[in-house]
Amino acid sequence: MNTESFGVSSLLSLPEDVFAVVSRFLSPSDICNLILCSKSLCALVDSEKTWLVQCEEVKVLPLLEIVQWRLGITSYKALCRFLVEVVKPLVGIWVQQNPELGNVVYVMPGFLSVVGCRIIPQKVGPSWIQEGQVIWSPVFEIICGFDGSTGFFLHGRDKEGSFLYPGFVMGIEKTCNVLLLEVEPRQEKSSCNEIEIEASSRPHGEHEGGVVPFWKLAFSDRKNLLRIVTRHVGLHVVEPLSGKLFPAKNDDEAMSLERRTMLLKMHKFGGNWKHMNLEVDEQLCYNPMQVDIDEMWEKLGDDIDIMDDIECEFSSEIRHSNRQSFLSSGETFGLSLNASYTEVSSYKGWPDMHVNHYSLYKLPIKNPVDNEEYAGLWGGTFGLPLGNCAEDESRKALFLLMLTYEESQEDNERHLIGTKILEGNDYVEYPNGSTMFDVNIDRPSFEPFPFDKDGRDFEHSFKGKGIGGDGYGFRYPGSKPGSLFVISNDLLAFVWRKTKDVITLQRLNLEEILKKGLGSCVPPLPSPKNFTYMKVFYINVFVKSSTYATSSD
Amino acid sequence: MSSNMIMLKSSDGASFEIEEAAARKSKIIANMIEVECVDEDKAIPLQNVTGNILALVIEYCNKHIVDDDDDVATEEASEEEEEAKKKKVDDWEAEFMNSMSLETMFELLLAANYLNIKSLIDLVCQTIANNIKDKTPEEVRKIFSIENDFTPEEEEEIRKENAWAFG
Repeated sequence: MNTESFGVSSLLSLPEDVFAVVSRFLSPSDICNLILCSKSLCALVDSEKTWLVQCEEVKVLPLLEIVQWRLGITSYKALCRFLVEVVKPLVGIWVQQNPELGNVVYVMPGFLSVVGCRIIPQKVGPSWIQEGQVIWSPVFEIICGFDGSTGFFLHGRDKEGSFLYPGFVMGIEKTCNVLLLEVEPRQEKSSCNEIEIEASSRPHGEHEGGVVPFWKLAFSDRKNLLRIVTRHVGLHVVEPLSGKLFPAKNDDEAMSLERRTMLLKMHKFGGNWKHMNLEVDEQLCYNPMQVDIDEMWEKLGDDIDIMDDIECEFSSEIRHSNRQSFLSSGETFGLSLNASYTEVSSYKGWPDMHVNHYSLYKLPIKNPVDNEEYAGLWGGTFGLPLGNCAEDESRKALFLLMLTYEESQEDNERHLIGTKILEGNDYVEYPNGSTMFDVNIDRPSFEPFPFDKDGRDFEHSFKGKGIGGDGYGFRYPGSKPGSLFVISNDLLAFVWRKTKDVITLQRLNLEEILKKGLGSCVPPLPSPKNFTYMKVFYINVFVKSSTYATSSD
Repeated sequence: MSSNMIMLKSSDGASFEIEEAAARKSKIIANMIEVECVDEDKAIPLQNVTGNILALVIEYCNKHIVDDDDDVATEEASEEEEEAKKKKVDDWEAEFMNSMSLETMFELLLAANYLNIKSLIDLVCQTIANNIKDKTPEEVRKIFSIENDFTPEEEEEIRKENAWAFG
């Protein structure tokens, strides 16, 4: 046996195709460790083929789209980095407590970007179950430059129409569960690269040399800073590209590329973008306008609304010195997005949120698995599904529910819980995050289905409770007996025993709905409200400001 | 059909008799059988595979053809039986891979690739990957006897470039 051929030649002797099979079982860090082994191994491993496989293995983008995205980026390796660092941690459903009807932001892949789309509280027609349309509004997007660098845009509206507010991505933790909109102090001289490294090596919340971070400022100071900065960096959005955040079914590739080029230019050149050309090899680097914050602060003067300040614990001196420290820590200031991990307690899957930060919280929505087959996102309305609703043409409130499994501490049995995350009524009856129903999946229900079954049989039915009755005020609603009927794997109905009220739910795939072009886009709220709506509100704040109100009622 | 035997001949002249059903695990041999270029009395010559490696390939194919037959016989098998059987196969595969050196493993992989036996390619690739997964470059170099020809500066540069992957 030829022992000399053993060793490096053995790994190196593998044809590229075969190595690609090996690499499918490896992670990006394993691949990088192989690259570090030796020059010849680096030559075999650090290839387009290997990184294409790695892009697939991130499992956030189908192969067809990976290949399309590659057209606008230098390599599969750079693309893989964007998928690992940005797309994967952010994709999912993000929420805020306010307004109480629901603040649901669905983050999904766009085109060389991730986009945040708000599913607004809405009413739907009787055939919604079949058609599955939704009304949404843009919130933010993170775009990817030719070299894989990132740029942030907040969406918003002004008197003149839709606006985009460019900013920075200041670090995304892989297990992030809180998204923060902030103002970032910057030194004019440093390039974006250095800042990125500096920012990412510093865990969020720590600060050196006594510089006060944004989140430590008083609420009204944060709000005013965000207002000042957005007012200065805002760029008017040109029709017809507004609302085209992701390629939908009938869109052509050219339009996606055109919009992407526009965004890259806006990010790089600000207001002058129309007259500039992008150099293919240059980094994405938005240079924020030199904002003399101090002067603007003076001008703002009486505008500062002390009543808005929820944080009464700050004495005015501390507040003032914090603000001074923050303002002196940078020469310019830019908008930034920060995605970090924070220990968050939750009640039946609903996070316990800070309501006075410009933040969104990630919902722990699980995919259905073997013994948790109904876990995930569901949507539906009150009333019966299919067939029986011919006489009922009225539009009904759309509900979105997150279904989770939990072991009950009371009876040690497994429960299936439906948590309300969005409601399309005119006025909210129960708060965001309420438990709509809670059934014991170890206890079958023997209640008959109180309606015409239409010849259908039920796979299962479970006994439990549905929201209603006397509780302890708005925050703590009571519950009444009821049963959950499993009509099919994708169709559930919860029936309240006494009233025979029924809510029918179907499994919802928002990405599919939006990409099929079944969504209709309405203008966003003014910024920064469009990121987080900071006020307690019980009516639909998203419709009164948009054209949707007139077209639907 | 499964009683049909065919002959395979390795690059170093060793001959092996194998059931046709087992040999069909190789897409290449299956194709040869389809187009009827297999003469009953003549062995199929496999120029890229040595005798000791071909013996391993045949061991693998025989093991898996028996399992496939079992599948047909016990179609109504319960979930637990299915699981037990799968575990048996997994255990056999683990033992099979454990019994060979890395060098043999690479030769087996090249043979499986040449003969186009997909499940065997996957099995060997997974085993090789397990020798790489979550290991430092130093450990990988040791396992595969690779000599480091990077200068510390070059290594540092690559580490920096790829820092994102380690986060």
